[in-house]
Formats: sequence, structure tokens, C-alpha cells
Amino acid sequence: MPEDESFDLAGCLARVRERDQSAARALVEHLYPLVIRIIRAHLPRRVAEEDLAQDIFLKMFTRLEQYQGAVPFPHWVSRIAVTTCIDQLRAQKRRPEFRWADLSENEADVLDAVLTNEDAVETGDALAARELVHRLLDQLKPDDRLVIQLLDLEQKTIAEISALTGWNQSLVKVRAFRARRKLQKLFRELEEKERP
Amino acid sequence: MNPSDQKWQRLAAAARRAPDTRDVMAPFGFSTRVVARAFGAPAASLLERFSLRALGVAAILAVVCVVGSYSTLAGAFDNDSGSVDDPVADMLELAS
Repeated sequence: MPEDESFDLAGCLARVRERDQSAARALVEHLYPLVIRIIRAHLPRRVAEEDLAQDIFLKMFTRLEQYQGAVPFPHWVSRIAVTTCIDQLRAQKRRPEFRWADLSENEADVLDAVLTNEDAVETGDALAARELVHRLLDQLKPDDRLVIQLLDLEQKTIAEISALTGWNQSLVKVRAFRARRKLQKLFRELEEKERP
Repeated sequence: MNPSDQKWQRLAAAARRAPDTRDVMAPFGFSTRVVARAFGAPAASLLERFSLRALGVAAILAVVCVVGSYSTLAGAFDNDSGSVDDPVADMLELAS
């Protein structure tokens, strides 16, 4: 949700519908933090986040007449952002192979700890863990990746994911199951391969 | 939960603790650029939308007309072809 609670969203939207450009700029600036967080969470590698943000806001303005107020406006924009990200992920067909040799020293240490140790990963390695997670997620199909990311990293519920993506809850569960199975397979393969 | 899934969960838990210190404010000029693009491109007017539909309807009508009058057109060509099939033979016939 955008941070600025004093922002008059309803009034701003009414003015944007009358093609008030200053209101439109204010709306973009108000929603930018929400949109950029979604993009950063789901952004395919090698895609410029600002270009994707621009696409999302252009879609928002194009479809504004379709917004009926059934859900809060930020939720509606979030859905546009998520679907735009997934379209980008689908367009990026090539999924790089996951190899020990491509990991940084920190990432390899974290992976080693996860594979060999029962304890939690140390807090100091959180950044490396995040990079490693993204490398693993790159191995999944775009739809499966989106679901597992929302579920396990953003800790959203199945119902929230369903609302955000427009997929029914059974489909979300199937995609989560498929993603977990693929991740398990990846972990098994990594265990079989020796760290160089 | 099987061991591989536990590994993923431990890794995901560590990733969740990673702080994201990147700025979330819109870059300077971003909103102006986006709004200029959004408001600069005029929405298709009623006339434009009507024109596109009219074009489609006209194309369908043209096809229907051609199909409907095909036999007439084909017959016309058949009659013509009789007279121009062999002009030399026609000339000889006239001369005899």
C-alpha cells in the first residue's frame, strides 16, 4: 500500500478522469513506491525497472475507464503490475542453467550451509541468500515462479495470490506444488554435484 | 515437509531478512514523462472506431457481391471467349 495516507486518492482519480495532468502526475508519484516494489520482487533479470514501471502506468491510464471501484485502487494497480511482470517473464524464454561455478563466494557459502546444515542461515548472509533465491527462481516457469515468490518470500495467502493474479485458488495451489517439486529436484541435483 | 523443502524454506527465510535499501521514490521527471505519453496519445475517437467497423462491413459486402454475381461474371467471360478463341477461324469462316 502507498505510504502517504493523507493522499486524496478518490479526488485525484476524479480529476485524472477529467484529464487533469497535474493530478495524473501526483497519482503516478503516489503509486510509484507500490509499483516499484512489485517490479523489484518479480523483475526478470536484464530488464530495466523504470521501463517496466512506465509500461505499468501507461496501462493504468489506458484502462482507467474500466476501473469500477470493486477493489481498492492500489490493489487494481498491483494486479496490472503483477500481470505485466509475468508477461515479461514469459517473454524471457531462456532460463540460464543453475551451476555452482556461476555463484559468488557468499552465495556458494550460503548454498553450502543450506545443503549441509540443519540450522538457519546466518543473518549476515541474507543478501547472498536473496541473490541465491532469485537464481533458483530463474529456473522455474514464470507462473510457478510468481506463485512461489508470493507465497514463500512475500508470505501472501493463497486467497491473496488468487486475488492478485486472477487465477483460481486450485490453480495457485497446483502451481505452488509444481514449483516446490522443481526446487526439490534442483536441491537434489546440487547435492549430487560437488562444490568446485 | 521433506528435507529438500526444508532447505528451500530455510533459504527463503534468510532471503526475507535481506534489507532492501533502494530508493522507492519516482525518479526526477518520471511522472511528467509518463503522463505526457499517456495523455499525448489520443484515444481512438468514435468516428475512428466507426470507420474501422465500416471498413470491415464494406469488405464483407464486397465479398458477398462477388460471390453473388459470380455466375453472371463467369457467363460473360464464357460468351466473350467464344468469339475471341480463334480469330483466324472466324475470318476464314467469313471469307468462305
